[in-house]
Amino acid sequence: MRTGRILLFIVAAVVAILVGLGIGYWTFGHPRAAPKTTALLLRPPKPLPAFSLVDDRGTPFTKASLGGHWNLLYFGYTHCTDVCPTTLADLNQMAGELEDLPAAEQPHVYFISLDPKRDTPALLKRYVQYFNPAFTAVTGTVTDLRALTAPLGVAFSYDPPDQSGNYAVDHSSVIFLINPESEEAAIYTPPMIFGRMAADYRAIIKYYGKR
Amino acid sequence: MLHKLPPLLFAAFFFMPITVNAEGPVTGVSHVWIREAPPGVQELAGYFTLENFSNRPLAVVGITSPDFNSVMMYRKPQHSNRGEMEPVTTLNIPPHKSVVFAPGGSHLMLIKPRKRFFDGDLVTLTLRFSDHSSLTIMAPVRRDNPQH
Repeated sequence: MRTGRILLFIVAAVVAILVGLGIGYWTFGHPRAAPKTTALLLRPPKPLPAFSLVDDRGTPFTKASLGGHWNLLYFGYTHCTDVCPTTLADLNQMAGELEDLPAAEQPHVYFISLDPKRDTPALLKRYVQYFNPAFTAVTGTVTDLRALTAPLGVAFSYDPPDQSGNYAVDHSSVIFLINPESEEAAIYTPPMIFGRMAADYRAIIKYYGKR
Repeated sequence: MLHKLPPLLFAAFFFMPITVNAEGPVTGVSHVWIREAPPGVQELAGYFTLENFSNRPLAVVGITSPDFNSVMMYRKPQHSNRGEMEPVTTLNIPPHKSVVFAPGGSHLMLIKPRKRFFDGDLVTLTLRFSDHSSLTIMAPVRRDNPQH
């Protein structure tokens, strides 16, 4: 009889300890599962390097310009026939699908031109605002661009010009999601899956916001 | 050569007629559209699906348009994971196969428009084939991808 009571006490103690550990784990130490998205999440987010570019109003655009809000960066150029306008149109659609979010959670969209020789700030402003008046275009010298593109892994090169002087710029076609701490949080890689980008964005900022 | 596209007719232009010879249908063209260009842009992208209904290989050997200075075909090189595209002078379509030009992949580059084209306009394109046949189609200009 005495042995049975001791055994019951031990079992009750073990159960109590396990329940306590479970509650503590769930409350304080539960590692949140990363959302399943088409975008690649960087865990932990990777800080951006220092860089110095200029936006389509002619004002400096630096790492600090990305702080305090979520950002989507896309690199391209205005003479790009297919993938750049396709991606910017998709980003416009995505921005529209996110309009219900609080202002602080809506992404700022930046189109960064890799072709400063032809893409002046004035031309870039007209170009990017065709897709969405809230979008901002950015550019800089090739050297200054590489200060940002190299750490991000964005490759670009200039094809030889044709008889008319026109040339293509070969470039990576990915979208970077930068968090309010100016860190690289996720990468959307092609093929962009239309209709999933906004849903993925919601899942990602929710995940990072509650870590 | 410019026309406005009545909205109700858009579906009809999305499923184009075909070329035929004595043996029957040879080529079908569908999902044709041209992306409206932002202001100042002199190169527009065009898309279509070409189908070879015949038992013989067929190739597109050139595309012209009275609405543009020139038209070129571009495709992504195999095994490329960057944004580079390469020009195509001969677009081969095996028997009973189709070739898709779609956003983010193979596309037409329509260079130096005679005027600015807007959503709903129509552009004339003439495709020349390796069997010496040709097909003239009217491609609608769209601001957004009509398949979205």
